[in-house]
Amino acid sequence: MYRYDEFDTAVVRERIEEFRDQVSRRVSGGLTEDEFKPLRLMNGVYLQLHAYMLRVAVPYGTMNSGQMRRLARIARVYDKGYGHFTTRTNIQYNWPALSDVPAILSELAEVEMHAIQTSGNCIRNVTTDVFAGCADDEIEDPRPWCEILRQWSTIHPEFSFLPRKFKIAVIAAPKDRAAMRTHDVGLQLIRGEDGETAFRVFVGGGQGRIPHIAQEIAPAVPGRDLLAYLTAILRAWNLLGRRDNIHKARIKILVASLGIDAFREEVERHFATLRREDLRVPDEEVARIRAYFAPPPFADLPRTSGAFDRASLADPDFARFARNNVRRHRQPGYATLIISLKPQGGVPGDITADQMDLVADLAERFSFDEVRAAYEQNLVLPHVRLDDTPEIWRRLAEAGLATPNADLVTDIIACPGLDYCSLANARSIPVAQALSEQLADLDYQERLGPIRVNMSGCINACGHHHVGHIGVLGVDRKGEEYYQITVGGSADEQAALGEIVGRSLAADEVAPAVGRALDRYLEVRREGETFLQTVRRLGADPFRDAIYGAFNAVA
Amino acid sequence: MQWLDTAPEGARLPVTTPLEEVEAAARDAGVLVLEFDAFRDGRGFSLAAVLRERGYRGRLIAEGRLIPDQARHLRRSGFDGVVLGPGADIEAWRRMDAAFSATYQPVEEDAAPIWRRRTLARATPEAVVKRLNRETRGGNAEDILCAALDPSLGLRPAILSSFGAEAGVLLSLAARVDPSIPVIFLDTGMHFLQTLAYRKALSERLGLTDVRLVTPDPSERADLDPDEDLWRADPDACCDLRKVRPLERALAGIDAVITGRKRHQTLDRHDLRPFELFQGRIRVNPLHDWSEEQVEAWFDAEDLPRHPLIDQGYRSIGCWPCTTVVKAGEDGRLGRWSGAAKTECGIHLGRRTMSVG
Ligand code: SF4
Ligand code: SF4
Repeated sequence: MYRYDEFDTAVVRERIEEFRDQVSRRVSGGLTEDEFKPLRLMNGVYLQLHAYMLRVAVPYGTMNSGQMRRLARIARVYDKGYGHFTTRTNIQYNWPALSDVPAILSELAEVEMHAIQTSGNCIRNVTTDVFAGCADDEIEDPRPWCEILRQWSTIHPEFSFLPRKFKIAVIAAPKDRAAMRTHDVGLQLIRGEDGETAFRVFVGGGQGRIPHIAQEIAPAVPGRDLLAYLTAILRAWNLLGRRDNIHKARIKILVASLGIDAFREEVERHFATLRREDLRVPDEEVARIRAYFAPPPFADLPRTSGAFDRASLADPDFARFARNNVRRHRQPGYATLIISLKPQGGVPGDITADQMDLVADLAERFSFDEVRAAYEQNLVLPHVRLDDTPEIWRRLAEAGLATPNADLVTDIIACPGLDYCSLANARSIPVAQALSEQLADLDYQERLGPIRVNMSGCINACGHHHVGHIGVLGVDRKGEEYYQITVGGSADEQAALGEIVGRSLAADEVAPAVGRALDRYLEVRREGETFLQTVRRLGADPFRDAIYGAFNAVA
Repeated sequence: MQWLDTAPEGARLPVTTPLEEVEAAARDAGVLVLEFDAFRDGRGFSLAAVLRERGYRGRLIAEGRLIPDQARHLRRSGFDGVVLGPGADIEAWRRMDAAFSATYQPVEEDAAPIWRRRTLARATPEAVVKRLNRETRGGNAEDILCAALDPSLGLRPAILSSFGAEAGVLLSLAARVDPSIPVIFLDTGMHFLQTLAYRKALSERLGLTDVRLVTPDPSERADLDPDEDLWRADPDACCDLRKVRPLERALAGIDAVITGRKRHQTLDRHDLRPFELFQGRIRVNPLHDWSEEQVEAWFDAEDLPRHPLIDQGYRSIGCWPCTTVVKAGEDGRLGRWSGAAKTECGIHLGRRTMSVG
């Protein structure tokens, strides 16, 4: 895992001092609220419905136990004892006092963390595959490149007052586990013709009111030119992007309105005159950063584990957990273990301070001191011995963290919605909770297989409803909370936007309607076909009928 | 960064102007004022960065609704100054401009970014030399010069020139890359008058803006060579006094010395590499593999003025007491310290130990 050197430390410390200065100028009237707002946002401080919210970056989702314990301490001391993990692998605190923020930032700096650029019209926290360094389809660990991007994008002189936010995701395998193509820029690490690292570059993805799947702009940008190419993209957008309408400001709108080919020409023009050498990270530096992400000292273990097999046979609950939450690791005898933050009836992504401490302990003891935050709002212990999984499971279960539903229908992605968010039209948490309760039967969930349900409380789509296999969007109908259902979206390597199936539903109608769609899937699916494959084969109609047929029959 | 009360005279454009029009306006503007009508509109930063990268050298001034927290964004994207409205908190502007001691991004006229600073901090000079030799393998003189002058390397280089017979080659190459590079001339007090005139003419012709005349310390000279004939008795001591020691003083703060040394010049130089380490400094030899013919061809092609003594048969020109005419066909450097075993003047060999007084 990356460790700060004196320069990284200086930047983070100086950033806190800068923010203190800004806060004091705000208090003395030197800055108006309008002027202060983007500055606090770029330090992760939001004004929410009831209070300030602080969003802390977990760069590319990787943490050590010390950092996790510090997040727990912040939740305990400065908040109400819990935090909320987001789809961009950040953690949010919903109740900090504004006056505590500099102190929290200092606490974070002590463990090499920060809240820099977790909001605002700048380059945001870079996300990646939660199984980086574990998956066997990976070409190379993407995280050194994420760290390079983190550094390059931090307090960028040219790109801190962009038309709108800018999000980058990096994957390093053919399989996309980071919703890469829903990002402003998606990078797929590949081997170039010369055998060196290169990137397939996608641009113009995004959700919100006008969702787009990112399109390929370059098939193979050499690693050494990556920062120059990204600079060219950002420059083209910063100069041409719309600033008159907040809903039309994202790069996706520019790409769509120019067309990918014309946009590519713009980018190439900038790329041609950029001083590329200046943006080339020295080989020594790439090697230095890579060294931090070298595989941990794995033991030579047999491929199978007696302890694991015995526990699976002896305890059906463990067996279920193992089936759903324990994933293959490329190192024999090891596994990657998903800690679901979606307990039955819980708030997706929430975790208490005590739970965080436990996860930190487990990471330290069993996973080479490493824990990851996942796009799905879960946590992951990346490198555990198969032998240790029964004990880890027992300890997780004691803390209410062993919900065996990873990637199943109740592993719901949901934004905070109207319970916290000032932009929301509708609540998403209670609807997610209702669905989770209704579908609680784990046998049924396993029968359904992998299905992703995503919920957003408004069209900003923080809950990624467009790319949920089933999407639920909160809308406002004459002052009442209503929900629109989509089916067939996906965030993987065949990313697609879901199709709206019909008129929006009242809150209490959502869970039963989704239930009917799921039942219909079980009726019409072919042997071995997942929900998504069935939707792709049959289209949305059978599900539309299932959802609305009941109403129509009554009407 | 300049904090201005009013905008200087010059072209003015709002940051909403398309890039092409801004570039056209900048083409013949000594001063360009970009007006921000909202501090959130960050187009101006990209406009400045693009203009600078594409070679705009005039003054770039920002004016309009900006906040102190943008001071360094302005400076680091290429602005020279900002017009502060009445009542602006100039102290806040100054503080915010200096808020960070290190930055990750390389930018115009700025300190090396953190990546380079890290590499330099960790790389030993040996490693830097090795890497530069590797990176410039197969490259020509200009490539070698550019590698040495690469701002991201963070080196502070200077050229060492005798303004002798072949000096025009290195100096004209360097002037192309950066005419403001320091050029050190060891003014030993023993040079031919022709050399001094040539130094002036060539510097002017090439537009070199930082030619430094380095003279021996007067009191040392009075002590060691009161009659100005030390060269006769002990040329090494004379070189030490008039070249080696002054050079050492002149090189304080310089960590890369660019010379015109060539392989063919002496036997000792036959394995000369583009970069070498010499007394803790990097020595750069862009012309390491040049032949006499190439030098001749370069003078012709560039139409450079020749050293006036060449016509009189001098080929390698140093101080008058130690330079003689060589016969046609003879090695040019034979004219230096001819008749003595001495082949190098000491500045390329290092200080010899000698007792003073
Ligand atoms: S989707 Fe809407 S309601 Fe949900 S967090 Fe985003 S802005 Fe708030
Ligand atoms: S070259 Fe001759 S005159 Fe010049 S410093 Fe050396 S010894 Fe003295």
